[in-house]
Amino acid sequence: MITRELELYYGPQHLGMVGNFSITLSVEGDTIVEAKANPGYLHRGFEKLMEYRSWTQNLTLPCRINVVEPDSMEMIYMMGVESLARIEVPERAQYIRTIVLELSRLASHLFGAWAYANMLGFDTVAQWAMAYRDFVLDLFEELTGGRVYHIYMCPGGVRRDLPDGFEEKVMNFIKTLAGHVPDFDAALFENKLFYKRAKGIGQISRQEAIELGATGQVLRATGMAYDIRKVEPYAAYDKVKFEVPTREDGDAYSRLWVIHDEMIQSAHIIMQCIENLPKGKVYERTPNPFKWKIPKGETYVRIESSRGELGAYVVSNGGKNPYRIFFRTPSFTHGIPILEKLLKGANIADVGNIMISLYVVPPEIDR
Amino acid sequence: MSEELAKEIIDNFSNTGVSYTSKYRMYIQTPKEELFRLLEYLKDNGFKYLVMITCVDWINENEFELVYQVGNFNTPLRIIIQVRIPRNNPTYESIIPIFKNATDYEREIHELFGIVFDGNPKLTPLFLEDWQKFHPFKKDFDSREYVKVTFDSIPTLEEYK
Amino acid sequence: MKSNTEKKSALKPAKSIKYLFQKPITFRYPFETRDASPRYRGFHLNDWEKCTGCGNCADICPTQAITMVEIKDLPVETGKKAERPQIDYGRCCYCGLCVDICPPGALRLSRDYLHIDHGTESFVYLPKDEKSDKEHFVTKDKYSIFQANLGHRRANYEGFVSELNFVLFEPERTPMNIEPPEVRINSFIEEVKGYTAEKAKEESERCLECKLCEDICPAHMKISDYINYIYEDNLEDSVKDIYIDNPLPGVCGRVCTHKCETVCSLGKRGEPVAIRWLKRYAVDNVDVNHIEDIVQVFASSKKQHHIAIVGSGPSGLSAAYYLSLMGYKITIYEAKPMAGGIMRYGIPKYRLPHEALDKDIKIIQDMGVEIKTNTTVGKDISFEEIKNTADAVFIGTGFMKGRSTRIPGIDSEGCYQALPLLEKISSGEDFWLGKEIVVIGGGNVAFDIARSLTRIQKKKYGEVKITLTCLEKRDEMLADEEEIIEGQEEGITVKPGRGPKEVLFDNNHKVKGLRTVKCVKIFDEEGKFNPTYDESDVEDYSGEMIVEAIGQAPDYSYLGEEIMKKLEIVRGKIITDEYGRTSIPWLFAGGDIVHGPDVIHAIADGHRAAQAIDTYLVNRK
Repeated sequence: MITRELELYYGPQHLGMVGNFSITLSVEGDTIVEAKANPGYLHRGFEKLMEYRSWTQNLTLPCRINVVEPDSMEMIYMMGVESLARIEVPERAQYIRTIVLELSRLASHLFGAWAYANMLGFDTVAQWAMAYRDFVLDLFEELTGGRVYHIYMCPGGVRRDLPDGFEEKVMNFIKTLAGHVPDFDAALFENKLFYKRAKGIGQISRQEAIELGATGQVLRATGMAYDIRKVEPYAAYDKVKFEVPTREDGDAYSRLWVIHDEMIQSAHIIMQCIENLPKGKVYERTPNPFKWKIPKGETYVRIESSRGELGAYVVSNGGKNPYRIFFRTPSFTHGIPILEKLLKGANIADVGNIMISLYVVPPEIDR
Repeated sequence: MSEELAKEIIDNFSNTGVSYTSKYRMYIQTPKEELFRLLEYLKDNGFKYLVMITCVDWINENEFELVYQVGNFNTPLRIIIQVRIPRNNPTYESIIPIFKNATDYEREIHELFGIVFDGNPKLTPLFLEDWQKFHPFKKDFDSREYVKVTFDSIPTLEEYK
Repeated sequence: MKSNTEKKSALKPAKSIKYLFQKPITFRYPFETRDASPRYRGFHLNDWEKCTGCGNCADICPTQAITMVEIKDLPVETGKKAERPQIDYGRCCYCGLCVDICPPGALRLSRDYLHIDHGTESFVYLPKDEKSDKEHFVTKDKYSIFQANLGHRRANYEGFVSELNFVLFEPERTPMNIEPPEVRINSFIEEVKGYTAEKAKEESERCLECKLCEDICPAHMKISDYINYIYEDNLEDSVKDIYIDNPLPGVCGRVCTHKCETVCSLGKRGEPVAIRWLKRYAVDNVDVNHIEDIVQVFASSKKQHHIAIVGSGPSGLSAAYYLSLMGYKITIYEAKPMAGGIMRYGIPKYRLPHEALDKDIKIIQDMGVEIKTNTTVGKDISFEEIKNTADAVFIGTGFMKGRSTRIPGIDSEGCYQALPLLEKISSGEDFWLGKEIVVIGGGNVAFDIARSLTRIQKKKYGEVKITLTCLEKRDEMLADEEEIIEGQEEGITVKPGRGPKEVLFDNNHKVKGLRTVKCVKIFDEEGKFNPTYDESDVEDYSGEMIVEAIGQAPDYSYLGEEIMKKLEIVRGKIITDEYGRTSIPWLFAGGDIVHGPDVIHAIADGHRAAQAIDTYLVNRK
């Protein structure tokens, strides 16, 4: 039997690919010998762009880094600026930010469920997930004025208060979604075909995950209950009760089940926030945007986005513009070293399976 | 626990300063010869997790500042280590022997800032394609000037009218 | 983790028949257009009547999508620029920062968002709205989504609008410490206390640098620059920028009529920046000697010409300052015992303390300007002599005589003019004061004399009994609103809309009061001053002392007949061009005798006349 290594381009336009990302595979028969990730199709140089604009003008940029979940990028930039400038955000704004972040997490997990189910061939469930995501985007349109790029948070709070009747609409949506969870379970998560396709694929042990820099579901699926919302709470997370779901095996099946449980916890958090929403103002006015200078210093802030630890390292040298901003995105470590390691020895048919179960969002790698 | 750790670091490493900006953020400034030993020491003390490596260009002081961050899953404390290297012909040693996932962070810094990391087998281009001219994230590269010069052939809107 | 497709059975597929009778889970949307949410961020709308052309939207846009273009057909309005924003939709990211910073709230985002075109030119767009552009904005029944375009938009379809709680500027002014009325009527102490360093920084931070104020200031001072220096705690550079256009900032920082504040962008929906008080803060906190060093930077080499200036009011001092910087030798002839003109002898001390005025005058004097006080031109020295000693002459003698109502009885003892009384108060001279006083007039001078007399009355008699009456109705009164309100707080009774008829006397022929009638109209159809009265509506105000403050007039007797024949004088004012040149080549004029009406116009006149004198002397060689 003669086998030869072939180079295969799992390119940026592929049905099993989410976003603009390509992998160069060396295959021998049906098995992958080596994989090289090629990010860079979406590099727009955000960190350099932000050095040319003032602190207030910059609030329109970070949301474009992660298309699927823009609110977490907005949140991390605002937290960085507020930490450097020592601004205190009013309490009602913290609760509203928590609601927005959790709705965004729901939308992002539904998007992930769509991508995974679509790739495996469960088209019905995929369309259900996308339909519910559309309802979330409608809620965002009513709150912020934009469906995908919200540009809703600003240093010092949020830009507008909740419109009338918004809380009822959110509760209705959550109740509708919760009523539909058994259908989702029956069609996808508890389906025997899904079990056969996902069990044992892309397995990573806890030791390797820590060494290669995994966070988020990839780590929680190996049994480690580490969630930044519990360890170093921000916004209103110290005032709500929720659990951190884990699974034991570390493969694609466990990762999907962690996502399923997280969605249920998100619904609980949103309901608690709406019931306990305090009154007050939502915006603490920052100084004049043409004159505002932040004193010299640096800071690192972090939140738990739907993919893992998202952090920002912000450096100011006392001027009107940031001196340097670096976004530590979870997809950077999931998408390059972990993906390359997991693809070694895998089947070609499982490339999409592994990649989507790691929840890599390519714009986050490139920034 | 962090105070004892800080004290031991100051005792065992020369010219090293420790400061805090808030309860869970410790900053260590150390000379570039001591970094390798310091990271091994921290890894032995439970900080097994490399969070990020990045670079800040201090053009007025003629130095690059490399920033490393390590984390520990048992405590919320994060340790940020800052190292200064000279700006002309910058090279530094790679920390892949200690932390395996440093490869791609160093690759990114090499492409965007031009720092050569000895011992990194994978210093190939990451984001930019066919870009051997210069390193775009340095402070002496003005991206707006570059856009004007490179794309000058496209007429602006006033000329269009 | 259970799986429910384990057991195989031939009947299982039949179970799915029940879904025939159930409602589908996917919701069917019939094709009806759905309105975007009430806060949607779509294309721009701009209300051209509210828009001032300030350009703040262009400054804040993060993608540089907005440019301000000049519109030629716009009607000229003071305090606005004839420019409007133009948006490039190839760059706009629909963030709404331009809406949040627009001070009058003219720029908004609508709920339209569709535009298709073959070329790129239509994507550069001048937004209007349904008020000024009925052609492109149609009502809902005429609107069709199939033709949606930047040229076919829906009227009354606003989305993201500006709300005052969430704007990016600060609408409230930092409060200033002003003495309360019960404290301030006990003395002539300055009532406005001035900003501390912290409050000045807070107030100077509000300025949005749109520069609408610089266009309307008669002296065109660099306002946004010097406010920025105050924000950066750099008072020396701030004072340097102020002195480029205004050599009397300590005075203007207290009594200027602040046209700049009336057009300030922030004043459209909030309170304007306290430009006057910030100027005062900068000048008060830099030492006199320091200012003299700063000002020397602008000096040029000495020239041999000699210029004479008659009158040491604001126009004369300003001309002296600029001519001295250019290197000329200056002599000022002042009739009164001290320099300052109306600033010292007309404005009371609680508005302008003499220390501030002396500081400004000292800087001008130390530049080498000679001020000859107690020298009345026409009496102590003739105008002919002055002309012979100088190469050019500038006159800024002001309106120092008071006008009279000429009602019967006004010439008797007990009736006075305002300006001589103000002069006596300023010099500290004693004079007889009535227990009850009536002041005729509704302008700033009337309130100056009325409020000064309250203080003296309070000290002498222990209580305030002053009535002020004027022809104008309450909202037409010419005095500043602050003066009227503060005067009423101090106990002055204001009776607007009344015309004086005659002075009333008691049996001993002493003044007892003033009889007034209702004033129906002040100006006739041609716009001339011709008041009509309703004689049946009579009101008497009691008072032993009547003070007239209805206006001022000039005194040109010192010029001599020959010169008066050559000059053109219309309604008391000398006609000059905008640089102060009269019909006589070596004679220049400025201040109240040219057009007035306040200190800052006089200072600007002096500056321009100095430039004209320089040109004249250079060309004469």
